[in-house]
Amino acid sequence: MGLMTSRLPSLLIGLCLAGVLVGCATPPPASDADALAEYRENNDPLEPTNRVIYEVNDSLDSAIFAPLARGYRAAVPDSVREGVHHVLLNIGSVPLLANDLLEGHLDGAGDTAARLLVNTTVGLGGLIDVAQIWGIARHDADFGMTLALWGADPGPFLFLPLLGPSNVRDAVGFAGDIGLDPSTYLSGPNWLLFAYSRFGVSAIDARERHLDDLAEIKKTALDPYATLRSLYNQNRAQQIAQARGGVTQ
Amino acid sequence: MLTRRGIFLLTTLFAGAARAAPAGDAAAQEATARAFVQKTADALLAVLNSSAPVADKQARMRPLVDSNVDVDGIARFCLGRFWRTASMAQQNDYLTLFHAVLVKSITGRLGDYSGVKIEVGRAQAREEGVIVSTTITRPNNAPAALDWLVVTQAGEPKLADMIAEGTSLRITTRKDYDSYLTRNNADVGTLIAQLRKQATTDGG
Repeated sequence: MGLMTSRLPSLLIGLCLAGVLVGCATPPPASDADALAEYRENNDPLEPTNRVIYEVNDSLDSAIFAPLARGYRAAVPDSVREGVHHVLLNIGSVPLLANDLLEGHLDGAGDTAARLLVNTTVGLGGLIDVAQIWGIARHDADFGMTLALWGADPGPFLFLPLLGPSNVRDAVGFAGDIGLDPSTYLSGPNWLLFAYSRFGVSAIDARERHLDDLAEIKKTALDPYATLRSLYNQNRAQQIAQARGGVTQ
Repeated sequence: MLTRRGIFLLTTLFAGAARAAPAGDAAAQEATARAFVQKTADALLAVLNSSAPVADKQARMRPLVDSNVDVDGIARFCLGRFWRTASMAQQNDYLTLFHAVLVKSITGRLGDYSGVKIEVGRAQAREEGVIVSTTITRPNNAPAALDWLVVTQAGEPKLADMIAEGTSLRITTRKDYDSYLTRNNADVGTLIAQLRKQATTDGG
């Protein structure tokens, strides 16, 4: 108790300092209509804070994740990496199926269910994307998209620690997808090991797949943060527009 | 004097005619844009997939960009609201450097694109031009969708943008420049200095 009370003030001071760091962007004056329009379109009122998180992520990435991903690319042959990627996608098919259903996309749900069944069996646990060869292509669905289809606005842009570009809706969606994943509810040391391994391998797989384009952005963009923000917003808008149109490709 | 019914009939007729005319134009525009993309893609592939040394490929790529891409239009779009605040000299410098950086970014990565195939799909007239969908296949890569925005420039079709997975090259660049300039006192000179650096450094 004594420890708790003695820690409380320093915790409060820490939070207050964080409050100073968690700064909000100052909107341009109303007299500068073009600048104001641009500011609103960027939808990034927390930009100063987001940029700090971007910098931290970027430092961690340069020091740890990018080298790990390069090592993974160098050490593991293409075909094996492709297999690993397929297995991860196959494991993630259950939340994808749940989102197809929540979005009311029965055709998409049928495809996802068929892909899960075919790839888990004939495709050796997802190692080979047999369903793709048979003409059942994969499509994207996640809880952020589902919320968008239910009418949720994206809310302010967010740059999340480790996860990168997002927004309030998609951050909630990320948590929702964890909730929709059955493995979240399994307990025991083996499942814990599975969860950690899956998380680690997913991170390295995702980073390896973006090694070239992220390096290109960092090399050519004058403001890589703004470039990533724009790419994320545009890409999400298209995914949601396609899902809204019932196009599951 | 026209009755109310007469006015209604006339307006609907005119409205119908007004709608019909662009529809016919749209079909023609779509066909032209699609043919243009097919021709440009063929020319591009002839360079990419030839066995010539990279330096030769780069030399052949430049006139292709010059004649088929609306470089000045893209450059102006990318500078956005800052085009108006730039001086004439800055505008000229910017256009020249933008051109150099664009050609460099295309030719600098020629080696990455050997063995590529482009399948031209459907064309759709939009407000800003005609979007022509293509599918790009590269060895050891999943097929990727790439949309080309074709505009008419002095009566000729020109490429104005490329859109991959919903991300437009020119919008992304515009956002990049806008943010950079906003954080650098709206000084177009700083952007020009950066572009000059990109145009002159190796491998940029």
